[in-house]
Amino acid sequence: MTTTAQVREHLRGWAMPHVLCPGCAHGIVGRAFLSAVDDVGIDPDQMAVVAGIGCSSRLVGYLDFCTLHATHGRAPSFAAGIKLARPELTVAVFSGDGDGLAIGGNHLIHAARRNIDLTVVLFNNEIYGMTGGQAAPTTSVGAIASTAPRGSVESPFDACKLMIGAGATFVARAAASEPYTLARIFADALDHEGLSFVEVLSDCPTYFGRYNKLGSGPEMLAAITRSDNRIAIPLAGKRSIPTIDPPDLPPGVELGTLHREHRPVFTGRAGGAT
Amino acid sequence: MSARGVVLAGVGGQGVVLASAVLAEAALRSDFEVKQSEVHGMAQRGGAVVSHIRYGETVASPVVPLASADVLAAFEWAEALRWMPYLAPRGALVVDARRIVPPGACKDHRTWGVPYPAMDTATVAHRVADVLLIDASGIAASLGNPKTANSVVMGAVSRFLDIDDVAWEKAITRFVPPGTEELNIAAFHAGQEAGSVRPEAIPDLGLDPIQQRSYRIEVDHSWCKDCGICPTVCPEFCLAMDHAHRLVVVDEAACIGCRLCEALCPDFAIRISVGDPAVVSGGAP
Amino acid sequence: MNEPRLIRGNEACALAAIAAGCRFYGGYPITPSSEIAEHMARELPEVGGVFVQMEDEISSLGAVIGAAFAGAKAMTATSGPGFSLMQEHIGYAVMAEAPCVIVDVMRGGPSTGRPTSPSQGDVMQARWGTHGDHPAIVFAPASVAEIFELTVKAFVVAERTRMPVIVLYDEVLGHTAETVALPEEVTVADRRKPEVEPEAFLPMLPANDGVPPLPAFGDGYRFHVTGLVHDERGFPSDDPAVAGALLRRLHAKVENHRSEIVDVATSHLDDADVVIFAYGIVARAAEEAVAMARRQGGRVGLVRPRTLWPFPDAEIAEAVRGARLVVVCEMNLGQMLLEVERVVAGSVPIAAVLRGDGEPIDPDEILAALDRDMEGALP
Repeated sequence: MTTTAQVREHLRGWAMPHVLCPGCAHGIVGRAFLSAVDDVGIDPDQMAVVAGIGCSSRLVGYLDFCTLHATHGRAPSFAAGIKLARPELTVAVFSGDGDGLAIGGNHLIHAARRNIDLTVVLFNNEIYGMTGGQAAPTTSVGAIASTAPRGSVESPFDACKLMIGAGATFVARAAASEPYTLARIFADALDHEGLSFVEVLSDCPTYFGRYNKLGSGPEMLAAITRSDNRIAIPLAGKRSIPTIDPPDLPPGVELGTLHREHRPVFTGRAGGAT
Repeated sequence: MSARGVVLAGVGGQGVVLASAVLAEAALRSDFEVKQSEVHGMAQRGGAVVSHIRYGETVASPVVPLASADVLAAFEWAEALRWMPYLAPRGALVVDARRIVPPGACKDHRTWGVPYPAMDTATVAHRVADVLLIDASGIAASLGNPKTANSVVMGAVSRFLDIDDVAWEKAITRFVPPGTEELNIAAFHAGQEAGSVRPEAIPDLGLDPIQQRSYRIEVDHSWCKDCGICPTVCPEFCLAMDHAHRLVVVDEAACIGCRLCEALCPDFAIRISVGDPAVVSGGAP
Repeated sequence: MNEPRLIRGNEACALAAIAAGCRFYGGYPITPSSEIAEHMARELPEVGGVFVQMEDEISSLGAVIGAAFAGAKAMTATSGPGFSLMQEHIGYAVMAEAPCVIVDVMRGGPSTGRPTSPSQGDVMQARWGTHGDHPAIVFAPASVAEIFELTVKAFVVAERTRMPVIVLYDEVLGHTAETVALPEEVTVADRRKPEVEPEAFLPMLPANDGVPPLPAFGDGYRFHVTGLVHDERGFPSDDPAVAGALLRRLHAKVENHRSEIVDVATSHLDDADVVIFAYGIVARAAEEAVAMARRQGGRVGLVRPRTLWPFPDAEIAEAVRGARLVVVCEMNLGQMLLEVERVVAGSVPIAAVLRGDGEPIDPDEILAALDRDMEGALP
């Protein structure tokens, strides 16, 4: 992973610090993404990042690429337009769980179905942060949100399964608490030809953490690590891994690269797919 | 003749296992019964490797009992000390003066002082009949291939065993990598001739002077939001939150440069950079 | 000029777009505009362009705006229900200053309404459909030839003003074939590119006309685009002074280009006692009504805005000066009527021929109104 000094080269320093709350892991994700951009060797002039509306989406304004902060949920369509009109650009989408899966769900799945060469990053913190902690399509059953004061009763989306079903040709899930893995997965996703989708388990200490008594940033990162039960359990108790008491773990979500295939990429041009 | 016992000890990569195979083969060729047992768990990572060889007209157990080895051949000083309890009261000690600091001895990254025992041959001499501290690595290097140091050691060992040179040479020829037979045999004979050296005359072969890498922890407080993540992930407790829940660098000297805090800082606010290297003496204190 | 040939309105629109340099089309099928998409799907790839059928009209305009920032001249086309969905991104294009063209082939509404009937019901939505206090540029062609002409002009104006430009016509014109001699060459315009080095580039710093230069993504200028209120760096700002200045500039830049945008056709106004106000397909009936009235000795003229927004206040006021009656004809129960009332401001009586059943207005209806509302209008 590249150093802070290198990563800062890709930030609009004059705009920092960013607007996100203390302990919000979105910045960790952004950092890992920038590290991957460096690792893959993408020319910053040829990198475009498009975002929707929400906390995660505000992050793109700080990235020193060509950045477009679009409308709520619609980032994949803007990104499609950019990529199709100028194929030499590397185009990524930053989206939140509400942005990408609720209001923008249709755009997301159709981008996957077309297999446009985009890298979509979905920041999943199980809540609407920007608007004040309302329930999202990813909120776990039982979790408290401002619009689910007795606990959410709706089943959450499994974003990765959804995207595999929709035809995304690279689907991965990673945790903000594992920045090195995250950066590697981002690099793979950026390298992938076709639509790559990376769901990142992030946190919202301000709302989700507070409503559900999960603590602040450090504790929530620990909880995320714990949900990845492949590694967290054996490493629990080691202080270098953010963690809290590990017993009675719910079944963890599957992390890593979950799906990979090759399918013709949509270009919208004569000669059709490449 | 009762069974002779030889303990060969060293660290991974020195050719202890090969040397023990050569010795076993040479003993076999001298019509002895041979039993051999070795432990080389972490050999590739600089871990300890030890091999027991027993031979004689009849040999029951492959393991040399405590305080009964006729020869302890150590390829490294600290290993010599570690296996000293196996040496018979009047046994012979052959040591390569090369010092290799085991990974476990590097833990004190603040001072990089290495807890490595001094080469005090005088202290051990009263327990053993012969102490032969040789610069095997230096001899091997002068012959053209430092890797033949194990053959030099075995040459020195042969001085205390009743195995003839022909058997040794055949054993060496069988086991060393093709093309290095003559070199190893030459190394073996050089070991037979090698005289004991004074420890201070031996150059530092295995232990380069250690440069302490110091790290600087810079926190950009105008970007930091005092979220408290970095203190929980720092394995060396360099960072802490003060009573006002403000991030403070409490122990920069302890930083090992793992950069976990950088990677997990959501605000791009921590920069770890390599400070000026401070040279710390590399070997024994 | 090329040889005259029969061309349908929607085909003329597509031909004009390609002639104007459009190389990106993102759209969603909807009657009665689908022929534009079908033509673009066939022809755009032949000229190195991109056609993509999106999942809805929201994303269609999203893709068009994305393509615009990637340097393409881009368009979409739709009809009422889809136009409603596009309102979100029309506002975005205004705020982010994305040059693009939106064609709305109007059909009967509200809602799904009458998909295969003509309408002029979207004229106010084209002005005010998206939220916020924004400017709008809307053209209303009245013939197949004008569809071609004004679609080309829409691209020119979009590029010069960095605005979404709307071309508004109706089902009848879209599906009408007329003999048209297309020009061999058309006037095109390209957006202004920055003259400063990337390091010195302020993405939202306007030139003298209020329009900031616009590099494409990938040109070496790294900049931020947002629908939030933003400063000259293109970065979100919550400063009321910044917000006020931005909104004023967005309006002012359209005003600065008004002479290129506003386009009003007139006929027989010199001696007119009666001035008919009509636009789009209704203007065709109005022209016929004027001819019929003139044959009867009536001094009737026509003012026909080809630009609906910004509303041609001065031109309309000038056209009705000295008249004794203004007749507003539209296929609505009174939308542009309100604008004419505002401009005429009581100086001349206004009669209205309004129709909301999705059937075109007939010249006889207009003449009947003249006869009814002004004694001696038809001697």
